[in-house]
Amino acid sequence: MRLGIRRGRLIFFASAVLLAVSLCAGVIFSARLILDRAANADITALAAGRDVPVAPDSRPELLFARLTFLTTRDRFDEAQPLVNRIATTGTSRIAAAAFYDLANGRLRVAISHLESNDIDPAVPLVRLAKEGYRRALALDPGFWDAKYNLDVAMRLVRDFPQIETSGEEIPPEAAKRLWTDLPGVPRGLP
Amino acid sequence: MRRAARRLVLCLAGLLPTAISLLAAPSAGAQLRSVELYAPRPFGHVIGDTLALSADIVLDAPFRLDPASLPRPRSLDYWLELTDSSLTDRGIEGGAQRYTLDLTYQTFYAPLEPKRLDIPAVPLTVTDGTRQLAITVPPWSFLMSPLREIVATGEGTTMALRPDVAPRPVATSGTQRGLLAALGGVAAGLGLLAWQMGWGPFGRRRDRPFARAAREVRAALASSAKSAASSTSPASAPGQRAALLALHRAFDATAGKGVFAEDLPDFFRAHPAFAAVETEVGRLFDASRRLFFGNDAVAATELPPADLITLAGRLKAAERGGP
Repeated sequence: MRLGIRRGRLIFFASAVLLAVSLCAGVIFSARLILDRAANADITALAAGRDVPVAPDSRPELLFARLTFLTTRDRFDEAQPLVNRIATTGTSRIAAAAFYDLANGRLRVAISHLESNDIDPAVPLVRLAKEGYRRALALDPGFWDAKYNLDVAMRLVRDFPQIETSGEEIPPEAAKRLWTDLPGVPRGLP
Repeated sequence: MRRAARRLVLCLAGLLPTAISLLAAPSAGAQLRSVELYAPRPFGHVIGDTLALSADIVLDAPFRLDPASLPRPRSLDYWLELTDSSLTDRGIEGGAQRYTLDLTYQTFYAPLEPKRLDIPAVPLTVTDGTRQLAITVPPWSFLMSPLREIVATGEGTTMALRPDVAPRPVATSGTQRGLLAALGGVAAGLGLLAWQMGWGPFGRRRDRPFARAAREVRAALASSAKSAASSTSPASAPGQRAALLALHRAFDATAGKGVFAEDLPDFFRAHPAFAAVETEVGRLFDASRRLFFGNDAVAATELPPADLITLAGRLKAAERGGP
């Protein structure tokens, strides 16, 4: 009889604990699910081209969606802080993707400048793009698309030891040499 | 003596060309036993690849590597980064201090054709507290391969970039599974609690003595029929006694007190659900009184096992509220 009472009490406490723990877990999971759903709605909206404002302390996936929205519209100055934010908070995979996408955007604009024979604005963009690809590859050395596009950027404006080591001031002949470094004539010139 | 030492030094210098610098240093005997470099394949690397080099360094025991001389991750050249360097102390064994120095480089050279590149030697300092000695991890060279052709032959591929990485939605399947599991836990906890406390559908779980009695009747009669399989009597006495006892206990439990034949009218008034089986119950009480108190063997034939099982089943159904 006493055993039965003890067993009954044990079952009561076990079920009460199970109920309490799973209720807490349920509340946490539902809250997370609601937040995830809201973020996914924003990500879908940004991918569809709607200009959804994103708080700077949002989660990295949402910041990345905003970043791709900005880079495909050539708004690099707004995108740069997002990249830094993603690099500090996000996983290395998403941070590498962020660096890569921003570099892609810059390189696309640089190539369109070069195609219209507009060299001066193109060179800094190519340099920034190269830096972005290098950051992406440092985070993910197996990122083949970044390797390929870095190779493209490298052939547009090649790295030279003397330019790299001379720091900020670029020797006057470097600007001239940059044009000769462009291999061949880009397609689409008039 | 001095000449012999010089000859030994010369001999060693001839044998170990890599140790020349060490031997030239003052009082640098054999403090460095060996530096062995383990490197990946020396060809087929492309831009952005990492190169993991590992050097096994063996020193004479009192000498230790000076931690300040270890290379820090940094940019070594415009195309070469040292991304990671870590030293593992493998302890002293047979008077020799062993280290493993792991160096990870990343190359960003974009060659137009396969090109040999060099990773420079790494200078290190060893010390025994008073003397300092320079050693080097040897340089290493490898072939880098281009990723693309020099002149694009494909249509429109000169400036074609690889596509962007599209943003992906936040993965919610894990959260959904967790939520489902939590809901399952809530349901299980509620169910267990309701069962334990007798809430809702479990409310009448405890007061179903006839369900248990019907089970016991069947079990008692079956076991006694087995033991008296050959006899012609309907059932052996102990089995029938046990079955009747079980039924009586069910009546007692339902009424909350002992029920005797005299109490039956009160019982049926209090529990009208059992009214349908009033006559059979009367017969049951009659027979059991004669069996238990009168030692009447005829009573055994009056309620054969089949009837007893049927009655137990009807009582169970009446208790459940059915017909």
